[in-house]
Amino acid sequence: MMKKKSVVRLVIWLLLIGIVTAFSAIYYVFNMPRRNLSKEVAVYSLAAKQLINDYQIDETFANKKYLDKAITVRGIIRSVRTLENHTMIFSIEDAMEGVSCTLDSADVVKYQTKLDLIKIGTEGTFKGRCAGKLMDIQIINCIPQ
Amino acid sequence: MIKSILLICFVALGLTSVAQSLYITKDAKINFNSSTTVEDIVAESNQATTIIDIDKNVIKFSVLTTSFKFRRALMEEHFNENYIESPKFPKASFTGKIGSPIDWKNEKTVSVDVTGSLTMHGVNKEITFKANITPGKSKISASSEIVVTPESFNIQIPSAVRDKIAKEVTIKIEAVYAPYQQ
Repeated sequence: MMKKKSVVRLVIWLLLIGIVTAFSAIYYVFNMPRRNLSKEVAVYSLAAKQLINDYQIDETFANKKYLDKAITVRGIIRSVRTLENHTMIFSIEDAMEGVSCTLDSADVVKYQTKLDLIKIGTEGTFKGRCAGKLMDIQIINCIPQ
Repeated sequence: MIKSILLICFVALGLTSVAQSLYITKDAKINFNSSTTVEDIVAESNQATTIIDIDKNVIKFSVLTTSFKFRRALMEEHFNENYIESPKFPKASFTGKIGSPIDWKNEKTVSVDVTGSLTMHGVNKEITFKANITPGKSKISASSEIVVTPESFNIQIPSAVRDKIAKEVTIKIEAVYAPYQQ
């Protein structure tokens, strides 16, 4: 009699643990955090000119190599602009057809002191996620290095 | 000597007139809404590039699909990996013509039809939509709404989640163009 009772109790406990685990797993996936580039190691670290060159030679191949990867690019800052939603865009090497590094508004606030030091005409380095090429190559979720 | 100076002047004039017919922005706002009563699905990108050629009445528009931001990271993952397949098709683009002539010197908003081809998810489709265009001295503003169905661009939505995603997706575009200076 005692044995049966403890088996039932064990089953109930296991069920409860199972349900809690399943729900927390679902909750986690549903609310999973965004990629945090500051915690990622760059797969490629290169000069913006090299990236521009790679995209000029073969866009499909360059996309295979760089798309969605964490990369660090460096080069001369040609223009800086802030959008309505407070995201900041730094254009490197060429204002029109260079590399555009976009910082999300939260990161603009977080790295304000570092960003203040970046001046047009000087070299800047950003780590971000390569989104591909339109006129310029777009690197998003950037963090100043 | 005079000949060569004249030639230089003509070339310079030619170049400026070419440049002045083009208006561009790389920060056009594009969002889409595929909300249903079950789920709010709204995504936005501020990084669409678009060009208007006022001599040829041509509009070009393109956006990188990974630049869309959703409310949840999971939605972004599903959008990029399962639906729009960004690794395979990183760009969505449109090239079209403005249907009726516009007086680009008159700073009054006009509603025009734009017809052209929209390429998304590797599928090319001819579409026509209405756009509001406001010419200006140093800028041109434009806005538009386009309604598309995911299925017509070969985007397969599993039946298990079909009720969560709207059958028709409304894409809204807002752009403020400035003269293209090279």
